[in-house]
Amino acid sequence: MNCKELAYMLADYCNGSMDLRLREELDGHLSRCEPCTVFTKTFRATCEETRKLRESIEYAIPAEVRERLDVFVRAAALKYPEKMREYRDQIERDLREMVTDLVGAAVAGNLSSATALHVESHCAACPECSGYFEALRKTGTPQAGDIPEDIRSHLIALMQALPPGEEFFLA
Amino acid sequence: MSAERWKDDEALLESLRKGAPGAVEELLRLYQGKIFNLAMSILKSESDAEEATQDVFMTVIRKVDTFQGNSAFYSWIYRICVNTCLMRLRGKRRSETVSIEEFMPVFTDEGMHASPMDDWSKEVERDALNEELGRMIRKFTEELSEKYRVVFVLSDVEGLSNEETARILGLTVPAIKSRLHRARLYLREQLSRYLQEGSAE
Repeated sequence: MNCKELAYMLADYCNGSMDLRLREELDGHLSRCEPCTVFTKTFRATCEETRKLRESIEYAIPAEVRERLDVFVRAAALKYPEKMREYRDQIERDLREMVTDLVGAAVAGNLSSATALHVESHCAACPECSGYFEALRKTGTPQAGDIPEDIRSHLIALMQALPPGEEFFLA
Repeated sequence: MSAERWKDDEALLESLRKGAPGAVEELLRLYQGKIFNLAMSILKSESDAEEATQDVFMTVIRKVDTFQGNSAFYSWIYRICVNTCLMRLRGKRRSETVSIEEFMPVFTDEGMHASPMDDWSKEVERDALNEELGRMIRKFTEELSEKYRVVFVLSDVEGLSNEETARILGLTVPAIKSRLHRARLYLREQLSRYLQEGSAE
């Protein structure tokens, strides 16, 4: 072992995690090498001083910073659930409206090609939806409130599966 | 980390998720000092650290529902803090940092120490922390580039294990050990030069 190797092994040596054989080798080198002995002592002292520093640190946060943080975070935390609820309700309303438009466009043959493909492949796997669309072709476009809940939820899931920004209908 | 802290965190997490009254206050009480200090040691500016701390708590509150619980709660918060601070640093011009290479030990081709060594360990071995030395350690630490500073602060100042630090930073344990060792070698050299200068006067 030379001094360079020793310097890069000091961490395990100092924290006691080095295996015994290697430790003996290191001790052997140290007993013969003055610079390494001093290097090791000062390295240990550095770690020791850092440890003392750590113990002496108080988590000092200026009083006015603490106060501003308290006010800000608490106010924002209060508003947050409310905001989230509003936001979710809005999305829910938007989606319900869009389902009505989607069904209308499907019946009129106005779906964008990507959406038409998705609807088609969904209907191939879903007897309820294909039955529903089949029936619509005879009765015409339904009113907004007339779409059954389970069909609606299928179509909402279908729209959510499309990439964001996808245009559902032809202009 | 102590078992007590674990219990505190478990209860806190539970009440935050339920939106229990006082949960946010408890979160602030337990963590705002720690988070502000961690942010300070990365950002080195009080106003930046304050804004970062705000962001950290907002993120914690917003994401507490999605916290998986496969790491400890405090290490999740630390991770959010480190990421928030590093994002902030990215946009800024780097502050002055020293090159750590200039403070690595120098060896001859045969791997022997190339410069004479001065033993100052006896002088600082008193029980209490030498106040001035503490100040110098902080100053020298602040001059490290954030790559080393963050590791050093989490391990040696926050007292986290290498495993915890690795998890927080998304690095491997060997990478943490190597950075930490280099930071300590750097600090040893800085302190040597500083103390030598002092004794030469």
